[in-house]
Amino acid sequence: MTDFKKDFPILEKEIYGKKLVYLDNAATSQKPGCVIDIISEFYRSDNSNIHRGAHYLSEVSSEKYEKAREKVSDFIGARDPAEVTFTAGATDSINQVACSLEPILKGNEVLITGVEHHSNIVPWQLAGAKLRSIPMDDDCNLLTDSIEITDKTKLIAISHASNVLGSVNPIKEITRIAKEHDIPVLVDAAQSIQHLPIDVKDIDCDFLAFSGHKMYAATGVGVLYTSERFSDIVPARGGGGMVDKVTLERTTYLNPPLRYEAGTPHIAGAISVAAAIDYMQNIGMDKIRKHEHDVYSYAREKLLETDGVKVYGNTENMCGSISFNLDNIHQYDTGMILDKMGIAVRTGHHCAQPLMRSLGTEGTVRASFALYNTKEDADMLIEGIEKVRMMYT
Amino acid sequence: MRDAVQDEIIKRFDGLEWLDRYSLLISFAKELKPMDDKFKTEENSISGCQSRVWIRTYREDGKMIIDLDSDAMITRGIISILLKVVNNRSPQDILNLDLYFIEKIGLKSNLSPARADGLASIIRRIREVAERGIN
Repeated sequence: MTDFKKDFPILEKEIYGKKLVYLDNAATSQKPGCVIDIISEFYRSDNSNIHRGAHYLSEVSSEKYEKAREKVSDFIGARDPAEVTFTAGATDSINQVACSLEPILKGNEVLITGVEHHSNIVPWQLAGAKLRSIPMDDDCNLLTDSIEITDKTKLIAISHASNVLGSVNPIKEITRIAKEHDIPVLVDAAQSIQHLPIDVKDIDCDFLAFSGHKMYAATGVGVLYTSERFSDIVPARGGGGMVDKVTLERTTYLNPPLRYEAGTPHIAGAISVAAAIDYMQNIGMDKIRKHEHDVYSYAREKLLETDGVKVYGNTENMCGSISFNLDNIHQYDTGMILDKMGIAVRTGHHCAQPLMRSLGTEGTVRASFALYNTKEDADMLIEGIEKVRMMYT
Repeated sequence: MRDAVQDEIIKRFDGLEWLDRYSLLISFAKELKPMDDKFKTEENSISGCQSRVWIRTYREDGKMIIDLDSDAMITRGIISILLKVVNNRSPQDILNLDLYFIEKIGLKSNLSPARADGLASIIRRIREVAERGIN
C-alpha cells in the first residue's frame, strides 16, 4: 500500500503534541505538495488576467486556464469544454443554476432527497420553488419506485453522495426516470467527485456541481457542468468578460463557457483543480476508489462493532462520510475530546438540518475520509472513542 | 480588580494538561444542579452555541439568581464555573465584573470562535438581564 500521506505536507503536523489524524475531509481536503506548488508557481511566474491583455503573460495564463477547463471536461466526461464553467464552489454553482432557472422554477417544484446539504435546498427556495423529497427508507436508501413527478415538477436536484452519511444515491436510475418525463437533473457531486469515477454522459445529468477544495485543490473555486442542451440559459451573473456587445439598451453575450464567467475568475484556483486532477489520475481513480472503500468499510465495521455507538444510514454504496453518536454523550463533547487527541472530526448538523430531524437527532459526529487516510487512522478514531467514553463515565 | 472566586478557579486549572483540564471541566459539570425540564423552553434557550443552553433568572433579596443548563457536558462544565463567579450577586456587581478567568483557564484562546461565541452569548444574556434589573 502506497503511503499517500507523504504527499500532503500538513499531515506531518502535530496537534496538541499528537500526530494529526485528519478525518474532516467532507468539510475540506488537504492539499498535496504538487497542488500547492502549482498555485505558488502561478503567482510567481505566470500571474496575469486572462482573455484580455495582448501581452505574453496574459497569453500564458489564458492558456493554462483553458487547459484546466479541458482537463476538467475530460475528467467528468463532458462532450465539450464549453460545457464546463468555473465558479466559486459547489454552492455557487447550484445558486447560479437556481438563478438562471428562476423563471421556470418560481411557483413550481424541485424534487430533492431527504439527505441534502442546505446548499441544495436554500438556492431553490430563493428561486421561489417548493421542495419535495423523494421518499427513503429508515437506512436512507432512496425509494426510486415511489418517485412522483407532477406537472409542477420542473427539476430534480440530488446529491450524488451525502455529506453526512456517505450514502451514494442511485443517480443513474433517477436521471432515467427524469428523462422519461423530460425533467432536467442537477447532480451535486461535492461529496463524490474526489471518491468515485464520474462520467456526465453516462449519468446523463444536465447539471453537475462540485468544489475544488474538497478534491485536493484550492478553496474558492468550483465547477458547474451544464449540458449543451442548456447552453442558452440566461447567465446568473453579468459583468466583464462575458459579453459580446454592450449598449445601454441591450447586451449580447459571448457563447458558453465565457458567457457564464463574469468578472475575473479564480485563475490560480482553476489551475489548481487541474493539478489536483493530475494528482488523482496519476494514482488512478479506480485505485483510489478501492483503497478508500477498504478503509471506509473497515472504519464503518469497527464503529458498528463498538458498544454504545450508533451509526447512521446504511446503503448499498457508500463513500467519504460516516456519521455516528455515542450513547448518552453529546456529539460536541465527543468532538472536543477527539480534538485534544489530535483527531479532527466535525460535529453538529453538518448543514443538513432536515436530515437531522428525520434521523431524530440534533447532530452527529462525522468522520470523513480521503485517499490519504488509512486503517490506522480508523483505529485511532476507535481508540479516541474509547477515551471519550472513559472521560464521561 | 481581583476576584477571589475567579482566582481560586484559575489555580485549579493551573499547569494541567489538556485532557486533565477537560476532566476537571467534567467534574464541574457534575456539580451543576440540572434544570427542571419544564424550564427548558424555546424562550429560555440561548442561540449561538454548538450545544443547547437554557437560562432562567430571578431575584432574591436583591441578588440575581441564575439557573443555567446545557445538553452537552463540556458546556455544563463551563457554565458551572461561570455560575460560581456570577451567581448570587447584585445586578450592578454582575455588570462590574471583569471575567478574566475565561482567558486564564484557556477557555477563550483555545476554543474555536464558534464555541467562544457560544460562551459570549451566554454572558451577553446574563448582562442583559442584569441591566434590566438596574433600570
